[in-house]
Amino acid sequence: MLLHLLVIAPFVAAILMVLNSREDSSASSRMAILMGAAFTAMSVALIVTGNQATTPMEWFHIPGTRGPVYYYLYAHGLGTWMVFLSCGLSLVALISARCTTGKDYRNFAIGIFALMGAMNGTFLAADAVLFFFFFEAMVIPAAILIAGFGGEKRTTAAMTFAIYTLVGSAPMMVALWYLLTIADNFLLLSMAVAIQSLPPYQQDLVLLSFLLAFVVKTPIFPFHGWQAITYSEAPAPLSAILTGAMSKAGVFGFIAWVLPIFPMNLNYISGLMWLGLLTAVYGALMALRATDGKRLLAYSSMSHLGFAVAGVFSLSEAMLPAVLVLLVAHGISAGVQYFLMGVAERMTGTRNITEMGGLSGKNPVFSFLFGTAGVMALAVPGTAGFVGEFTVLLSLWDLGPLPALVGGFCLILSATYVLRFIQKVIFGMPAREYQEGTRTTALEGVSFGTMLALLLAFGLHPAFVTNSLHLFDEVATEETATELVEEVAEPAEEHLMTAEELRELDSTLAASGFSEEERKALLTQIQSIEKVDSVEVQDSTEVQDSAVVQEPAVETDSAAAQVETPAVETEKTEASENE
Amino acid sequence: MTYLPLWFIPLFPLIGTILLGTIAVVSSGAKKGPSEGLVGTLAVLFPALSFAVVAILACTMPEAGIRETLCNWIDIPLFRADIGFLFDGLSRIMLLFVTGIGSLIAMYSIGYMHGDRGFARFFAYINLFLFSMIVLVLADSLLLTFLGWEGVGLCSYLLIGFWNQDIKNCKAANKAFIVNRVGDVGFLLGMLTLVTIGGSSILNYDGLAAFIKMIFGADMVSEVVIPLSLAGILIFIGCTGKSAQIPLLTWLPDAMAGPTPVSALIHAATMVTSGVYLLARLGLMFSMLDYVLLAITFVGMFTALWAAIAGLLQNDIKKVLAYSTISQLGYMFMAAGVCAFDASIFHVFTHAFFKAALFLGAGAVIHSLAGEQDMRRMGGMINKTPVTACVMIFAFLAIVGFPGFAGFWSKDLILERIFVSGPIVGPLVYVVGLATAVITAVYMGRLIIMTFFGKYRGSKESEEHIHEAPAVMLIPMVILAFGAIFSGYLWADSIGITFFRDSMASVVGPAQALYASTNAVSHVNPVIFAALGTVAALAGMFIAWKVFIRARIIGVKGASTVPEGSAASWTFLWDYIHCAFIAGVNILAWFCDVVVEKVLQAIQWTLAAIVEILGDGASVLQVRKVRLQLAFSIAGVALLVMLVVFSGGLV
Amino acid sequence: MELQAMYIQILALVIFAIGIIVAISRRNLFFVLMGVELALNAVNLSFVGFAKTLPAEASVTGQIVPLFSIAVAAAEACVGFAMVIMIFRNKESVDADSYSDMKG
Repeated sequence: MLLHLLVIAPFVAAILMVLNSREDSSASSRMAILMGAAFTAMSVALIVTGNQATTPMEWFHIPGTRGPVYYYLYAHGLGTWMVFLSCGLSLVALISARCTTGKDYRNFAIGIFALMGAMNGTFLAADAVLFFFFFEAMVIPAAILIAGFGGEKRTTAAMTFAIYTLVGSAPMMVALWYLLTIADNFLLLSMAVAIQSLPPYQQDLVLLSFLLAFVVKTPIFPFHGWQAITYSEAPAPLSAILTGAMSKAGVFGFIAWVLPIFPMNLNYISGLMWLGLLTAVYGALMALRATDGKRLLAYSSMSHLGFAVAGVFSLSEAMLPAVLVLLVAHGISAGVQYFLMGVAERMTGTRNITEMGGLSGKNPVFSFLFGTAGVMALAVPGTAGFVGEFTVLLSLWDLGPLPALVGGFCLILSATYVLRFIQKVIFGMPAREYQEGTRTTALEGVSFGTMLALLLAFGLHPAFVTNSLHLFDEVATEETATELVEEVAEPAEEHLMTAEELRELDSTLAASGFSEEERKALLTQIQSIEKVDSVEVQDSTEVQDSAVVQEPAVETDSAAAQVETPAVETEKTEASENE
Repeated sequence: MTYLPLWFIPLFPLIGTILLGTIAVVSSGAKKGPSEGLVGTLAVLFPALSFAVVAILACTMPEAGIRETLCNWIDIPLFRADIGFLFDGLSRIMLLFVTGIGSLIAMYSIGYMHGDRGFARFFAYINLFLFSMIVLVLADSLLLTFLGWEGVGLCSYLLIGFWNQDIKNCKAANKAFIVNRVGDVGFLLGMLTLVTIGGSSILNYDGLAAFIKMIFGADMVSEVVIPLSLAGILIFIGCTGKSAQIPLLTWLPDAMAGPTPVSALIHAATMVTSGVYLLARLGLMFSMLDYVLLAITFVGMFTALWAAIAGLLQNDIKKVLAYSTISQLGYMFMAAGVCAFDASIFHVFTHAFFKAALFLGAGAVIHSLAGEQDMRRMGGMINKTPVTACVMIFAFLAIVGFPGFAGFWSKDLILERIFVSGPIVGPLVYVVGLATAVITAVYMGRLIIMTFFGKYRGSKESEEHIHEAPAVMLIPMVILAFGAIFSGYLWADSIGITFFRDSMASVVGPAQALYASTNAVSHVNPVIFAALGTVAALAGMFIAWKVFIRARIIGVKGASTVPEGSAASWTFLWDYIHCAFIAGVNILAWFCDVVVEKVLQAIQWTLAAIVEILGDGASVLQVRKVRLQLAFSIAGVALLVMLVVFSGGLV
Repeated sequence: MELQAMYIQILALVIFAIGIIVAISRRNLFFVLMGVELALNAVNLSFVGFAKTLPAEASVTGQIVPLFSIAVAAAEACVGFAMVIMIFRNKESVDADSYSDMKG
């Protein structure tokens, strides 16, 4: 229910906003902020209640494919936190935009809600087509908002953004379509199975087209052409959402879709890791030279995300929690930096940081927030950024000292550009005379302060974030561990099935649907049947595992993943027959 | 027996930070600042409370120390770290003088910062600094130490750039943070190396000790010594950053841009010595790594010598003291390099007193001269500010190692330990150290003579305003001066007092025993070293007297206190080297911005242009007559239908 | 003699062709619309003609579809004329060739 609400309700909210008068921005802003707060509360509730899934519903059937497209949502640790980012940042954006958009506030709020719904859908979708639908749908409200509320070159920015990202994901659509003709349905497992039946060069082709979409979205080095202009021309609250939540869709795609579908084909792993590091260094260097404040933040964001991608493709055991913490930290800190940059722009009337300065004397509260946000972006220990960067560095060090050294170099560069940014904006004397615009409002101050406090809390106790990745309770883990020992003795070939059986089983699996409660019930049911041998019990916990979060394919080595996937489905079918 | 909880110690400054920070932020909009009495009381109260807790704990502490794990910090696969505190002989000494001197300097600052608009903000930073420093010292694992480590760096950044209206201060602050950051990355990578060697538990100091014991037990020393050396070197890079050693020393002279109490507290007494503390803390590990130790010795030796010479050339009173701090830190590193960790911490301890006294004295002088820092415009101050002059002269005697004063005991102890450490390196380093001691006496003598003796060289009207500092500033100075005289008697080897060494033996003892077991230690009578040290101090003072008391010092008009000519290039040598690196990065950034980015844009434009041309070509077919288009479409349908019919259907 | 289904189809074809030719060749918008209507009616005729060839119960289907399409055509004519009138007001012309503002 929560999942449905989070995905559908923002669109309803967008429609409800139309009811407001166009002229009276204060009424519409009250309504928008209330609804935004409700969504944030829902996302927090989602985090608290843990992993869950909806019952799959048949959505439509694409002619020429073998199974229907499901409307099927599920939340796992990674997606949950991304949803939190999208809702929370949207709320703050709605608060912050009150002072800038003026009469058009209603339309701005409509766009933000539509964007939020699409982002939530992206992070929660379990069906590849559904995911792709939302993945593309995100672009449209964002582009419209940029074109409507952006800076001077807003139309160029909107066009660049829309065309670049849509073209980037076009190959993915073709690849997806092609996959659909061979897979039974568009859930992760069957796609992962289907991909194995293709000849190797085709697998690589499909993989490449998937990668391209996410690489453009993130963005990774040669494909970042859209980013700087989009982030700098978009209104600051929107930039905050774009960098804080939407750009995460790229990294999310790598973790939640690319790694589980292509566990065997990642010949490009080390290549992408280096590309990520290159992006990190490149972004940092570009940020060093930027004079436009928002452009500087855009490059800094690129640098951080490059670092996160490098972490993902280090594929170490600690990768997932490390990258998750890094993403959450970056989402909040980059978001709040953009919001504050928006306030600075509002006050001084310029984005050029060489023309700012001296804000610490004029507006101490703002400077306090600005300085703190900058310091948090530096990954000072005790903030979430540090935990993320330290653990990612740890993952990189696993591969060898050189990647970690490059990562360390990025840390030094990030200190350099952030300090330069702080110094230019708030320290020194004002570089020119200007008419001072609206200052930080109380509500804004409180919301920014809350975000900074969250960063501190996550930095001192990252378990808030990483705990959502724990898949099963301690008891189940122990059971699995004991059974694992026995499983090693079993020859793996026994679990292999023919392709036909597989397909049959898979369709039954899909039809049965597996929500959280169901799976738990199944688990106990299976364990109560005595003739089920220990290996299968082991597998059933694996079912839980792979259905909730797609790590097993990532974490277990790929050979094991191949063996286990069919076995998983056997178990599932048996269980549903028992019912 | 139950003890006071350890987390009380960092808690008080933290509360102070939050309270004062709130006051600072809330009052920032108001016309008048908050009441200075209230702020000042709060600012001194919390460090003093923390000092009281430390003092109680220090008296009741058992020999093995107190360990306390608060909660879990990071818990992910591959890595696990707890937040825990460790209170033992080493952290006891460090905490005592950190909180003690911290409270004194906070008190001094009430007078020094009187009337400043950022009064509350200043004390919030000071409290935050004390919190970070306490965490650094009290932490039971490297990771938590790193939290304090970056925290003190951050506070140093904030306080150097405290008067942020002046962009020069901000630049100095940025420089301090970035140079420190280079060191910090070394520290970070060093920790990662350790984790790869022995898992995440090795970051805990007890875990590290257990690991090293395990290595010796399993006889695997030769296998791990290379990765451990790498870790040692990386962590040592971190120490050079924080403690301003070659090659990362350029930030400390610039850091004098901050208010003088900050220079006394952070850039002389506490923060900059944290590198030495870390070496002592990891003593057991370093004592295995001969080559790393050699590197530490030589880095310390060169830094001590170079900074002493650079100190000779300065005109700014605070910069002389800054270089002197670097030079003294060099001594501490030399001692750490020969595994004399107790001697090096002892020097940290005495140095904290006399250097803080010197800085506070310099601050009082600057305060009385309304911000003048150029020694060429001072002189004859002894008549006008007698108390300050006495404090500074006592501290001066302590730093040059005059017999009976604190520096005499600690510096000679270090030199002695260096001499006896080995056959060739020991005497070599000893000679350089002794020469440095002579130079130290010369430049410190120059400072005292230029400031307090002779005639006043400033303008007439400023002479009338010279006044002694208020009591709130003088009391801490006098207390510190007493420390500068008597703190050395905690470990006066020549007269048989070894209290200080005994109190630390449980912590650094094993490391030093390990080092001694592999390095032949000859024994020489300590009286000889004491005599040689005294001769060096007296010689230096004599030279200073001869040269500077008579030399006519030209009063200058310009505002710059920077040394000129060849003196400048000698002083800024390391700055020039850093500039080369910065230029490299800038060129790289320029290359990315101007070349790579443009090439990428050109590719994008080319693609877009191709698409546009194709589109233009296709649009030719769009005739601008509605009827014709209709005809086309009907013809097209007819064509399709015919195609389907004649080809026999679609399927 | 009973009417041959073929003749109905031939008639429908002729009417359809006339309709299309009128729609394409006349410049007056009203004639274009009339041509379209004619073509539509030709299709209706064709439907009925084919329906006649089927047995009674099946032929009903063929007769109902034209009813629908007549209704749709009526609606379409309404909308079409309304649009033509709107355009005419703006352009002061009923010449289809002068409506070429949409650029490729």
